[in-house]
Amino acid sequence: MSGVLTEADFEFELPAARRAEPMPLSLRGVSKAWDKGRVPVLNRVDLDIDVGDRVRIAGRNGVGKTTLMRIAAGLIDPDRGQATVWGTSAVEHPERYQRLVSFLPAGDRGLYARLSVRRQLDFWARIAMVPRRQVAARVEEAIEIFDLRELADRRVDRMSMGQRQRLRIAMTFMPHPDVVLLDEPLTSLDGEGAEILFGAIERLLDKGGALLWCSPAGEHLEYEFDRTYMLVEGRLVRA
Amino acid sequence: MTAFGENLSAFYAVIRRDFHVFLSYRTRLVSQILTSVFSLTLFYYVSRLIRVEGFTTPDRYFGFVVVGIALVGVLYSCFAVSETIRQELVAGTFERLLLSPFGGVRGAVATAIFPLTYAFALSSITLGLGVVIFGLELHWSTVPLALPALFLALLAFLPFGLIFTALTIATKQANVGASWIIALLSIVGGLYFPIALLPGWAQFAAEVQPFTPATELLRHLLVDAPMETSVGLALVKIVGFAEILVPLSLYALYRAIRLGQRRGTIIEY
Repeated sequence: MSGVLTEADFEFELPAARRAEPMPLSLRGVSKAWDKGRVPVLNRVDLDIDVGDRVRIAGRNGVGKTTLMRIAAGLIDPDRGQATVWGTSAVEHPERYQRLVSFLPAGDRGLYARLSVRRQLDFWARIAMVPRRQVAARVEEAIEIFDLRELADRRVDRMSMGQRQRLRIAMTFMPHPDVVLLDEPLTSLDGEGAEILFGAIERLLDKGGALLWCSPAGEHLEYEFDRTYMLVEGRLVRA
Repeated sequence: MTAFGENLSAFYAVIRRDFHVFLSYRTRLVSQILTSVFSLTLFYYVSRLIRVEGFTTPDRYFGFVVVGIALVGVLYSCFAVSETIRQELVAGTFERLLLSPFGGVRGAVATAIFPLTYAFALSSITLGLGVVIFGLELHWSTVPLALPALFLALLAFLPFGLIFTALTIATKQANVGASWIIALLSIVGGLYFPIALLPGWAQFAAEVQPFTPATELLRHLLVDAPMETSVGLALVKIVGFAEILVPLSLYALYRAIRLGQRRGTIIEY
């Protein structure tokens, strides 16, 4: 036996990307302008989110919070700068990026109205490339954790807005991402739903994940964040 | 778990999603079968009037046109993917595909599979109804060969739908000009009458798309219609069109999505 240790000598294994880049989520010099020549909605935004971090971005309506979240999610590109998760670029390696990050967009869209909760979760698990043998277990886990048992066979168009939001949140956490991005997640949620969400966040952080939460300024939140930023004139300002 | 297995699972998920959505509209199949019966009835009685050169009996024309009717459904289904993606843009579910490792391009291609399979089934039902109700004579010894031929034809047709999907993603309008293209292909593809009846310049249009050789080949295999060219040449044309159009359409789709992501308009609808 040689004296050189290999990965196989350790009990645990870290993904290659993690060894190369310490930050779960990093935004570097991110700028975005919706019209050429106009003031950018995001102006050289820098943000690092470490393992176990709970970070909130707040700000007035229309200030660019959702744009920032969409860039962090890899849904749209910044004009300048880049978003990386464990060093993986959203633009250059979208497939790998989407395996690491999960985004809950604001609003109530993104669900198939005529599919049941269970079918919706199964669909999303497969699209999220959850290993085939784990799909059924993940679906059941999500149904259990997000208290969807009674709704499991109900079609989405026959559910209340709060129930739909719980399903959307379940879909966000189900692939076991490293980084979760939540854009106004409390929309339509009742107190019980909010508690379930906070529990899911704690489990994510316990497993070494990270959270970026975005909601309007002035929203009353019974949840503690490690850092809160205000988005003002395209820049993040520590609150 | 291999990447191939994960992709297979994701494709399966999309097909199953579309199947369940289809099942949730309970009268859709019945209404579409009735539409086929009405078309068959119409052309059966029109065919009774046909006694011209090329169609020695009314039944020859009926066999000719039934295959055309069956194929026009397949053609429509190829273009249906762009309308489905338009609906997904509005519902925010296309955004979900983009936010998954499966991605928008594979998601759009997978979305085309169920409508194509369904169109194939409906075409088979149309032919079956033609046989049972109107006494259509199929050339049974070559009918099984129609299956791989249709598969190749679908590979050549589908790119049209994917290019229109790319246009839909770029312009946010469903099927921009698709109905014109379908009407044009119906004419120059010889769906309802032989292309020999068309003027010279229109016959050129019949040569530069895959629908004409596919229709001719499938007619030959299904109802033993004579071919203007050889089976081999028709196959070469279909495969050639597929080889050129499939990568071209996938690239167009990829570019449309990337353009939307770069401009930030991918979330608009």
